[in-house]
Amino acid sequence: MAPDLKKRRRLFSRPWTSLRKLIQALALLSFLALFVVARSETPGSTTNLFLRLDPLLALVNLLASRAFVAGAAVALITVALTFLTGRSWCGWLCPLGTILDWIPLHRWKKGKWTPGEGWRGVKYALLLLTLFAALLGGSTLLIFNPLTILTRGLAVGVWPSLDKLVTAAETALYRLPALRAPVLEIDALLRPLILPPTPLTTRASALFTSLLIVIVLLNLFAERFWCRYLCPLGALLGLMSKVALLRRRIEPGCVSCKLCTDACPMGTIQPADDYASDPGECTMCLECLDDCPLGATTFTPVFSVDPSRAYDPGRRQVLVTLGAALGGMALIRTVDTELNHPYGLLPPGADADEFYSQCVRCGQCMRACPTAALQPALTEAGIEGFWTPVLIPRLGYCDYGCNACGQSCPVEAIPPLPLVLKQEQVIGRVEIDQDRCLPWIEEQECIVCEEVCPLPEKAIELELAEARLPTGEIRILQRPVVIHDLCIGCGMCEYKCPVSGEAAIRVYSHGSGRGKQGGRGRRHD
Amino acid sequence: MENKTRRAFLQWIAIQMSAVFGGSLLASCGKQEPHSLQTTALPIAKPIQPTEVEPTDAPTQTEQAAAEPSATPNGHPHLAVSRGGEPEALVRHAVAALGGMMRFVSTGDDVIVKPNACVDYRTYEYAATTNPWVVGEIVRLCLEAGAGRVRVMDFPFGGDSESAYWSSGIQEQVLAAGGEMEPIRFLKFVETEIPDALDLKKCQIYEDVLLADVVINVPIAKHHSLARLTLGMKNLMGVIRDRPYMHGNLGQRLADLTSRVHPALTIVDAVRILQRSGPTGGRLSDVQKIDTVIASPDIVAADSYASTLFGLQPTDLSYIVSGLNMGLGQADLATMKIEEIAVGA
Repeated sequence: MAPDLKKRRRLFSRPWTSLRKLIQALALLSFLALFVVARSETPGSTTNLFLRLDPLLALVNLLASRAFVAGAAVALITVALTFLTGRSWCGWLCPLGTILDWIPLHRWKKGKWTPGEGWRGVKYALLLLTLFAALLGGSTLLIFNPLTILTRGLAVGVWPSLDKLVTAAETALYRLPALRAPVLEIDALLRPLILPPTPLTTRASALFTSLLIVIVLLNLFAERFWCRYLCPLGALLGLMSKVALLRRRIEPGCVSCKLCTDACPMGTIQPADDYASDPGECTMCLECLDDCPLGATTFTPVFSVDPSRAYDPGRRQVLVTLGAALGGMALIRTVDTELNHPYGLLPPGADADEFYSQCVRCGQCMRACPTAALQPALTEAGIEGFWTPVLIPRLGYCDYGCNACGQSCPVEAIPPLPLVLKQEQVIGRVEIDQDRCLPWIEEQECIVCEEVCPLPEKAIELELAEARLPTGEIRILQRPVVIHDLCIGCGMCEYKCPVSGEAAIRVYSHGSGRGKQGGRGRRHD
Repeated sequence: MENKTRRAFLQWIAIQMSAVFGGSLLASCGKQEPHSLQTTALPIAKPIQPTEVEPTDAPTQTEQAAAEPSATPNGHPHLAVSRGGEPEALVRHAVAALGGMMRFVSTGDDVIVKPNACVDYRTYEYAATTNPWVVGEIVRLCLEAGAGRVRVMDFPFGGDSESAYWSSGIQEQVLAAGGEMEPIRFLKFVETEIPDALDLKKCQIYEDVLLADVVINVPIAKHHSLARLTLGMKNLMGVIRDRPYMHGNLGQRLADLTSRVHPALTIVDAVRILQRSGPTGGRLSDVQKIDTVIASPDIVAADSYASTLFGLQPTDLSYIVSGLNMGLGQADLATMKIEEIAVGA
């Protein structure tokens, strides 16, 4: 770009770009603010707003669960916006897109490889595969939705590691007497709102952070690589944009200066095609509008279907992805998830028969859970339940006084139960391992599981038993016994069990009888 | 729009209309139970805040003056027990009988009050957490005695401290009385040596409890299946970080901890006592309202008296026995000077 043209890149000389950048910043800040307050008293239906704006989540949930959640109608706002203004969600609002704009790694591009135009078809293939799988009841591919990648990556990746970093720094500085007061003041600002007030354990943080980092690093090959070639939500919005009202047009005054081609973050302005662009790729960022020195680039209402491009999905892609979805679902479904995964504990109130179809893998419940009891499933729920929330009592218990997960779920896969109803949901079946439990093997007093049981009528009873000590002496001991009819499987006992390593009392998945009746009745008993 | 044909226009219209209709169809086909959107908008439910406001029946200045003569400067009773009134009055009379809060708190003192707020899902009626009005009155008495700063803290095992302060109702009364709630900061648990300990030689104790000028221990008297009862010494579990470890040799370790924390005053809240299913409770049928407050600078004595409320002997509790052995206080109620006050009627 010529230096004299660079000078034009000032704020007021580029009104549209400046406005877009402002709105992008506000949207990203709102997203982060809602993410942060998701673990506070703020209603879950507010903090999950961005997820409910996502039409791909709503559509997949609708197809896979065959039930419409009224709260998901918010996504129609984005649909309407797209039919009016094309992929403006991608260019103006998407928090992941904004992050990718803010980290312009393509400027450091070293290698020569640039993805060909055909790569744009990948996102359509991913979209079709996602939708066909959804028709067959599978929601697993939503792990590639940009908002779920970002929410999950922040909730179980970035934020827990940020907490560890801050805690380590605070602990180190707190040893210096002079710094104690300021460290405490900073700590009081950060906790409990931004960081958790109690130390929490989150697993696989590296995995989820890496996924975010990889998406950012792809920018090395092309600007907004993710949005151009991979994003399934972008593909869905792109297909809608083919008929959008507002579209980019080149007026006759164009002198082929190529400034717009260079400016386009999506690389969709083709000199060979008279500088036309694909509305399915254009994110309406309006860089070209501000850059065009002659005003030959305009955005005007168009009433037609935009011509199909080579990379757009055709009959063949549809058939191939349909076949792949059928095959994939058949392969996944060869295993009964419940039978194969005895520790796949669902969040309170979730319907075991439908959960893996309903859940959109967004990770919002994991952010809302104040005890980090909900973690992304790695192996506990098989491929079908990959990265859905699973309750791991050894890492965190389901707090008897909390129903945040159901309130925060954007698609009600975890039902938004009032607290009194949530307190009756049976999460799993608790068993004591008498080969590990202290009063059973070491003849040692321990009543911790009974003590911490939150139920009004405790689901753990202590029985008096005679234990013969190695010395031959007989000792009267209290030994815990689970009363299955009362127990809700909240996991408080497993969490607090003082036996090191695996707890001597564990919550097991008890199959599809759980919670269906909204109470304590269980078919398997 | 020079290239627009009628066919392209109609095609465009058709797609737009189908999108609009499709969208509205989707919006209308959903289950229209009020359940759906309405419930997502509900705020996170928390245990209902106590609405029943216990009428304040704090004694007037003259009443307090009348109570004081019984507590002569050198002949303070070992233990004061007040019965049959509102929680605030019970506290005020019991403390007055011991010689008033001035005996324990000096001008400008940094005071830590340690109630029991063990979980974040019970209101005070269930007697799992200390009566909020008892705590509030203690804060008020400390400030009246000239305390510079009164902070109330507990480290709950269910939920985090701030949610437990809120749900127990303690926060509301403490703030109304002019005190502060101390949110638990994990930085402040410091490895501390316990020189007199027989078993628990080292322990992570909350720093502010060690640095405070005065610690006032305010347990609620309730059932516990290992310790039998949770009273003053057991209540000190809430100032340390690693609680499961304590259960190994509970009585002795509690006595060891008590020797280090050394509260200046123990006030046992027995307004409501929990007879079964402690320490968490949850059934009103397990709760007995006996409108009693026990106060003593001697934690062993306070616990000893409180044990009798449950029909036990002091020596039935292992931590009282260990406390006696370590010389932390007295347990023989017969030889103690006990002032019993009937507050009500």
